[in-house]
Amino acid sequence: MKSKAKLNITNLNWGVSFLSAVMAIAIGLLFGLVILLISNASEALSGFAAIVQGGFADGAKGIGDVLYNATPIIMTGLSVGFAFKTGLFNIGSSGQFTMGAFAAVYVGIKWTFLSGSSHWIVALLAACIAGALWGLLPGILKAVANVHEVISSIMMNYIGMYFVNMLIVSNIHDKIKNQSLPVSKTAIIPKAGLDKVFGSQNINIGILIAVLMVVIIYFLINKTTFGYELKACGYSKDASKYAGINAKRNIILSMVIAGALSGLGGGLLYLAGSGKYLQVVDILAPQGFNGISVALLGMSNPIGILFAGLFIAHITVGGVNLQLYSFAPEVIDIIIAAIIYCGAFALLFKNIIFKFSKRKEKEGEGI
Amino acid sequence: MDYVIEMNKITKTFGDFKAVDDVTLKVERGEIHALLGENGAGKSTLMSVLFGLYTPEAGEIIIDKKKVKINNPNDANDLGIGMVHQHFKLVHNFTVLESIVLGMEDTKNGFLKMDEARKKVEKLSDRYKLKIDPDAQISDITVGMQQRVEILKMLYRDNDILIFDEPTAVLTQQEIEELMKIMRELTEEGKSIVFITHKLNEIKEAADRCTVLRKGKYIGTVDVKTTSKEQMSEMMVGRKVSFIIEKSDAKNLSPVLEVKNMTITNKFTKKNVVKNVSFNVKKGEILCIAGIDGNGQSELVQGITGLMAINSGHIFLNGKDITKKSIRHKCIEGIAHIPEDRQRYGLVLDYSLKENAVLQTYYQPCFQKNGIIKFDAVRDYAKKLISQYDIRSSQDEDSIVRGMSGGNQQKLIVAREIDRNPEIVIAVQPTRGLDVGAIEYIHHQLLSQREDGKAVLLVSFDLDEVMNVSDRILVMFEGEIVGDLNPKNTTVQELGLFMSGSKRSESYEIKSKA
Amino acid sequence: MKTWKKIALAVLAMAMVFALAACTKDQGNQASSDSASGTYEIALITDVGTIDDKSFNQGAWEGVVAYAEENKLTYKYYKPSEKSDDAYLTSIDLAVKAGAKIIVCPGYLFEIPVYNAQDKYPDIKFIILDGYPHTGDYTPVVKENTLSIFYTEQEAGFLAGYAAVKDGYTKMGFMGGIAVPAVIRFGFGYVQGADYAAKEMGLADGSVEIKYTYVGNFDATPENMAKAASWYNEGTEVIFACGGAVGNSVMKAAETAKTKVIGVDVDQSAESETVITSSMKNLTKSVYDALTEYYGGKFRGGEILYLDSSVGGVQLPMESSKFEKFTQKDYDTIYNKIINKEIKILGDQDAKDASKLETTKAVVDLID
Repeated sequence: MKSKAKLNITNLNWGVSFLSAVMAIAIGLLFGLVILLISNASEALSGFAAIVQGGFADGAKGIGDVLYNATPIIMTGLSVGFAFKTGLFNIGSSGQFTMGAFAAVYVGIKWTFLSGSSHWIVALLAACIAGALWGLLPGILKAVANVHEVISSIMMNYIGMYFVNMLIVSNIHDKIKNQSLPVSKTAIIPKAGLDKVFGSQNINIGILIAVLMVVIIYFLINKTTFGYELKACGYSKDASKYAGINAKRNIILSMVIAGALSGLGGGLLYLAGSGKYLQVVDILAPQGFNGISVALLGMSNPIGILFAGLFIAHITVGGVNLQLYSFAPEVIDIIIAAIIYCGAFALLFKNIIFKFSKRKEKEGEGI
Repeated sequence: MDYVIEMNKITKTFGDFKAVDDVTLKVERGEIHALLGENGAGKSTLMSVLFGLYTPEAGEIIIDKKKVKINNPNDANDLGIGMVHQHFKLVHNFTVLESIVLGMEDTKNGFLKMDEARKKVEKLSDRYKLKIDPDAQISDITVGMQQRVEILKMLYRDNDILIFDEPTAVLTQQEIEELMKIMRELTEEGKSIVFITHKLNEIKEAADRCTVLRKGKYIGTVDVKTTSKEQMSEMMVGRKVSFIIEKSDAKNLSPVLEVKNMTITNKFTKKNVVKNVSFNVKKGEILCIAGIDGNGQSELVQGITGLMAINSGHIFLNGKDITKKSIRHKCIEGIAHIPEDRQRYGLVLDYSLKENAVLQTYYQPCFQKNGIIKFDAVRDYAKKLISQYDIRSSQDEDSIVRGMSGGNQQKLIVAREIDRNPEIVIAVQPTRGLDVGAIEYIHHQLLSQREDGKAVLLVSFDLDEVMNVSDRILVMFEGEIVGDLNPKNTTVQELGLFMSGSKRSESYEIKSKA
Repeated sequence: MKTWKKIALAVLAMAMVFALAACTKDQGNQASSDSASGTYEIALITDVGTIDDKSFNQGAWEGVVAYAEENKLTYKYYKPSEKSDDAYLTSIDLAVKAGAKIIVCPGYLFEIPVYNAQDKYPDIKFIILDGYPHTGDYTPVVKENTLSIFYTEQEAGFLAGYAAVKDGYTKMGFMGGIAVPAVIRFGFGYVQGADYAAKEMGLADGSVEIKYTYVGNFDATPENMAKAASWYNEGTEVIFACGGAVGNSVMKAAETAKTKVIGVDVDQSAESETVITSSMKNLTKSVYDALTEYYGGKFRGGEILYLDSSVGGVQLPMESSKFEKFTQKDYDTIYNKIINKEIKILGDQDAKDASKLETTKAVVDLID
């Protein structure tokens, strides 16, 4: 273990991140196993196997379900992780997600004059814009008035939720079911044959869009001057000011992009054609908060977030399969939530490894 | 001999790198023992071993004739060892009193007994003339006062073995003299002091004996009285070092930077920290702003560079008014800035060396195309700086700057700023906390700027530096310029009088009244 | 140091989750019967909300448990991963995988999932409550393996309104959730029942006042509570809270105002002291009966049933009701009249709104 850890640490920062994420996951799973043992020892092991097997238990359909579940949380994770890079904690992902979902559904229902594939594309763009708008406000408040983005974006979550409830009721309300009307067929994201491949109605090219976003954000953060500026602001506000970087502009832009990503996540979920409707309920969209876990587990690295999102979706599907055993669904919820939240400990493990490695190979003397 | 500390044949390695290699340090009871060496010589590592931050691979530690194992700072504290770190380890939103007491809080029924603590701190403060305001917040006080807090922290813990890691770097001449006095008083009371420094003057003045390290190895221990500065520096560097800076006379050309009637008000206290200041810096001139820390020098520089908003006044660069221009614009126009707090302003610590090398130039066409950074070009540029300016780090251009030594961090900043070929270099405390080699290097770089006909504005609290390097000295006191002196016609003592506000140049007397 | 603190925190958090897990177990929310073979033949998929929601899930589940326990059959409920048609279908898949022969789907949210499932699993039977399978266009497509069950809510509402007036209440209120057909039926019945009782008692025209509104949601919100409180303030004696968690808001208001509430769907007397009776759909009995029919080889596949008073589809829980004057005998009398169709009770399609029900004794005050 020691030598292996050292090998990873010596040169690869990525290695440390990966190792700590794996450790976090291992702790989470172990923890899940303990709860399983407490609730029903006789079936604990087979139940545990169901969780670990996750989406692989059901063949192609299971994998399709994993991809479907992963798509929105990869987007919100990307949103939170991207803002983290700029030193901002975008806890408003939930509200941005909801706004994006509404915009997409609204366009999907009302703008039927759009023909063919332009419809869903416009609907997704609308989702981006609505999410961006919801990120813009906390961004401006932070940049101009130094209002902490956590406070303002939490409030934006609630404003978004109630605002969307109001908009649904006044525009696209299915009175009988108290939810949004179904979107027009042309607004559904095309499946491009993926549904045949995976044998699941859920799957569509949304996951490909999410992967594309991962690549774009990775590129943006690591390869562009814009990303360079954003990270500099995140690491050190003073140094970036010294360097002549316009921090205010970057804060606003960063929140706008983060918002657009969350909004797109909302659009991708509600236009997936999985029979999901916007509900008129006073509940914040949980995808936004799962995004925080995904971002933490993925260490804010876009590629890491992609895999973290897939992993959490995998575990979620595993949780559904766990119902085949005699565990109460409520206990299963606890187990899955516990595994997901243990994922957030990744950073803790990274710090531990980092400290360990620092001791081992601190270069030279005097700090 | 009565040794209070014996560190015998200590070896500490990091990976393949021997930071401390078979080093022996013996400190007598009641002496001030200097530990001399360049950056990377192993001084701090050796002291960190003593303070329990590192476990050595080989060697033994004997404290008060007892062999001990020190696993963490708490063990060290129990043995009466205290340390003032080079970079203070204080909590910024604590008050001075809380910072001193932190970790040693006396409680009664779960409540802090701060009154007694306050009395004790005040007593210590009076006794050693360590002036502090117990209720000030750490973030509001000067670096000098922060150090006094660190010293009081050790005294509060009744430590008998005191380690001072580069304590004078941040102090003014007067403060340094006071510190020396304090240190001597402490030793008279039987406390033993290890004094890490590379200022040979101070060693000469204060220390009894001196142990010299070079590149992790033990070079020798000498008696300070019978050893000359030149001998010690040769031991430290491994070659002869010149202390006298040779330079040609200033050419007195046209002004590059002009500051007219600048006033800056502190946002919180509403006090004018810079009061109606006017001066200019000419081509081929090193203008030095001297003064005790906290008399408006930092604000003046931040006002010029744009880091702080100015309330009134004008700034001209080569005759152009740049008062209202952005930091970026000033940078492009040719202002280079070596900031006072290099870790806070000068570097993005979590960026690699190469990323920091282009901190102000990343957007220029040579480093980017269509918004995409040309990392190959950045890498080549960083490599060039590394070889040209001799910047040392473990992974060259890929090193994370946070892990680099202070000297090399500063070298990187200096390299970056000078390499931009600026019109004027504004350097604030550029040699603070650096070893002799690095100081020599940086002075050399500033002088070569001057030789190239560039202007240099140097803010320094170090009187030796002020006297040695500058062509002209302005003294700041309480936000005003109170003296305009020629280093050739003045003395350190006279400078001290200006700095303490007890003397003013006539021209400034008249000007401020007018 | 810091690290240790973090680890300690993590351990603490874990301990709390253990405790939670233990609690959930101790509460005895038995999710399934013991099954040696690992298969469960009677399945229930929960609608939004938990199994103990004091409403559809719980009512239907109790029917499943009662029948299965009596007949030593295996049973289990499944909780969808989210509220979407596909997630419901996935839960049905799961139930089939675990050996379900008959699957109970409580609530109209199952309309589209069951539409798909009845084709996908022709050998499995489905019971859907308060809904019928369709593709999304509300054209019923009930296959041979599906039984769709509705309730005549107007009769349940009638009973409640009648009993309340008989018991002496004249200042009454109706707070519906959203104006969906089922809620409208409850409301219309309530108004007509009150009017009918007033007629029987020979009260003057307009002597019974009914404030009538739909709050527009099914949630417990401060706004709903404030509205109920203001009604009580204005003299309303009893409110029929007809809309899921809206009831909780109304009960809170009633507890403060020392006034009364009429519950809905299931017997809500345990919810609050203020609940005098509940306008019940007999979910438990209907599920129990449907299961009995299935195991007796008489599954009425392809049918849409409207369970009314004649088959015990609706009722008031007289045993737990807190009436002072209204007796079991009164209840039986009126119940029989309804069964025998002696009273014509209008449904949601028969009038435009509650004020157009042509009642004379009871006056409806429509509030938007």
